[in-house]
Amino acid sequence: MLLIYCPYCEEYREEEEFRPKGEAHIARPQNPEETPDEVWGDYLFFRKNPRGVHHEQWLHAAGCRKYFNVTRHTVSYEILETYKAGQHPASDRAPGVGTGGAK
Amino acid sequence: MQHYSGFGLLKHGLSYHENWQRAWRNPEPKARYDIVIVGGGGHGLATAYYLAKVHGITNVAVVEKGWLGGGNTARNTTIVRSNYLWDEAAWLYEHAMKLWEGLSQDLNYNVMFSQRGVMNLGHTLQDMRDIQRRVNANRLNGVDGEVLDVRRIQEIVPLMDCSRNTRYPVLGASWQPRGGVARHDAVAWGYARGADAHGVDLLQQTEVTGIRVSGGRVQGVETTRGFIAADSVGVVAAGNSSVIAKMAGLRLPLESHPLQALVSEPMKPVLDTVVMSNHVHGYISQSDKGDLVIGAGIDGYNGYGQRGSYTTIEHTLQAIVELFPSFSRVRMNRQWGGIVDTCPDACPIISATSVGGLFFNCGWGTGGFKATPGSGHVFAATLAAGKAHLLAAPFSIDRFISGKLIDEHGAAGVAH
Amino acid sequence: MSDAAVFDVNPAASVASESPLAACRPRVATLANAEGAGVVVRERAFLGHLILRGNAADEAFVAGVEQALGLPLPTKACGLSLAAEGTSSIQWLSPDEWLIIVPGGAEFATELRLRECLGGHFAVVNVSGGQTVLELSGTGVREVLMKSTPYDVHPASFPVGRGVGTVFAKSAALVRRVGEERWELVIRRSFADYLYRWLLDAAEEFGVHIAD
Ligand SMILES: Cc1cc2nc3c(=O)[nH]c(=O)nc-3n(C[C@H](O)[C@H](O)[C@H](O)COP(=O)(O)OP(=O)(O)OC[C@H]3O[C@@H](n4cnc5c(N)ncnc54)[C@H](O)[C@@H]3O)c2cc1C
Ligand SMILES: [Zn+2]
Repeated sequence: MLLIYCPYCEEYREEEEFRPKGEAHIARPQNPEETPDEVWGDYLFFRKNPRGVHHEQWLHAAGCRKYFNVTRHTVSYEILETYKAGQHPASDRAPGVGTGGAK
Repeated sequence: MQHYSGFGLLKHGLSYHENWQRAWRNPEPKARYDIVIVGGGGHGLATAYYLAKVHGITNVAVVEKGWLGGGNTARNTTIVRSNYLWDEAAWLYEHAMKLWEGLSQDLNYNVMFSQRGVMNLGHTLQDMRDIQRRVNANRLNGVDGEVLDVRRIQEIVPLMDCSRNTRYPVLGASWQPRGGVARHDAVAWGYARGADAHGVDLLQQTEVTGIRVSGGRVQGVETTRGFIAADSVGVVAAGNSSVIAKMAGLRLPLESHPLQALVSEPMKPVLDTVVMSNHVHGYISQSDKGDLVIGAGIDGYNGYGQRGSYTTIEHTLQAIVELFPSFSRVRMNRQWGGIVDTCPDACPIISATSVGGLFFNCGWGTGGFKATPGSGHVFAATLAAGKAHLLAAPFSIDRFISGKLIDEHGAAGVAH
Repeated sequence: MSDAAVFDVNPAASVASESPLAACRPRVATLANAEGAGVVVRERAFLGHLILRGNAADEAFVAGVEQALGLPLPTKACGLSLAAEGTSSIQWLSPDEWLIIVPGGAEFATELRLRECLGGHFAVVNVSGGQTVLELSGTGVREVLMKSTPYDVHPASFPVGRGVGTVFAKSAALVRRVGEERWELVIRRSFADYLYRWLLDAAEEFGVHIAD
């Protein structure tokens, strides 16, 4: 069970209130019409899917219904930070760096 | 290879079963193989077996970081069926079904394949329309299937609450009588023993840590036991496929998710078929040992942890109790997770890559156990010929660029 | 005053209104009166519900809302402003979204007031028909809530004047603490029947009374 800090509700909430929404910071190609199929296919379907630190989107579905970002380790599931949509992660911090009150 | 038979059992009984030959060797890696298979799950072992048996290619190694069949193969709920919607998928899974039907004899190993039927429940009018459509499509493809009404369902599964009082009343079901379950470990062990007998080296406790590529061609694999050269490499690593792809500088359209299952304490036989419901989201069967085998959907986040969240398990059990109120008092014994490699169209990838000689067989996600024989069979043919087997061709990775997806979410759903 | 087209969607007496619980036949044993009941459930049907969107960082917006409603706009997460008489309230839903609840029939006038007092980029939507309010009171309420939601309803984390959107009995609800032993659930019309029956079932063990 994950406890996730919602940067909008400004508190930790149970995982059950959220929906994971996959990899974060995927840029949509600027001109879809002129984008080669390889690039468009990559944008739509191909993912980093790392075994390690992952920046991902979550939706606070039962709460404020806002999307935000989570940096989480995909093996330990440790959440290193959460930050609002449109913001950048503080760092690509390595796992196990014990961020204490990590948000 | 020592032949297994009833007579052999008697004979070994005389020597207190102390003289059984080991089922497979534990060889040292050779410097070079024609083909290296990465991943010693059911699919990897089946691939090696058919490479040797069907194509006569025996200079093959299966490289497994843990123990044989210790990945999703040993963690799945063993539902076998072939009633997929689209032609390409139906053909592939039905190919596997036909192999299942002769597998124990072929391997001389009892994989306990039990065709006890698989039932997919419908709880809404739309469910029923989808079921009708799928059963019709299946029949056109020579896949057995029927649409059941509630009365027939109740006859087959008397314990299930088919009344109108439930929150999501059961309206009907699709039914594949040839579907069923098999013993997952036995499948891995049977293929392992068969492959080993043909001379395939099964290298356990050997982790692939790198893929050596030179001049656009694969040269071999770096492992924790040193470099192993190979003409071709076939990666069959389920949830870890993306990690291995990255070693060769490739990206895959996969996401790895935890998928959980659980079993109850053993009970007297009460359920002699497999019941699944996409709508209330759970499925259940009873093993020959008597435990209820229960599963449902993935945890929504990416995870390599081989464990999932409590909420998912809770949700699953609520669905099961909705269907079988009398199971509410059954105690659960064990719960675990695997790492499933989900693909955007809920279909596998069986494909060459942009690296010469490097092939992937992955993306089976939540439902690849049922395909084990077929997957191994067509992947072996693909590796042997260096180009896709007819049944594998539609599952090329190129479909994520051309857009020619094979959307099986309806038939896959919770349904494994 | 914004120039959005507005109209009163409340049919008043011309059409008989039905609460989403109208067809609900609870099957639990209820107590005939509130005395001795650990939980008293009362539907506050047909109230006026408005969703307000706007920029909380815009002082004019904040001041405009207060001017229109006579209640401070809660700009902190999970804030809930309650009128002293308990007749109206504003609840923070997300950084740019609030739920305003006013007496039934007052929603159109409230909307017009808001439009009068606000300028720039904002939205007011009447959602009165889409949800209803259940008021829960009594000594057993906290226990019932603990059975139903993963949110911590301990007084230390849930003081009077707080409102959260959370998971409720696998569905969703807004949970609001409006008094020491008085709570409110704002629930969606389509889930209302289910949640109502869930609540009564969960409350049965404490002795439950359904008040008018
Ligand atoms: C809980 C659960 C329930 C399921 N239920 C069903 C079901 O009812 N029906 C169904 O059809 N399917 C089901 N599945 C899916 C099914 O289990 C899989 O699709 C199938 O078993 C995949 O087989 P595999 O051989 O490809 O993978 P695996 O058995 O996972 O084998 C992959 C192997 O690769 C190895 N490996 C990984 N990385 C490396 C490396 N770097 N070096 C060396 N080796 C490596 C792993 O250790 C592993 O042994 C379920 C899965 C789970 C987790
Ligand atoms: Zn939130």
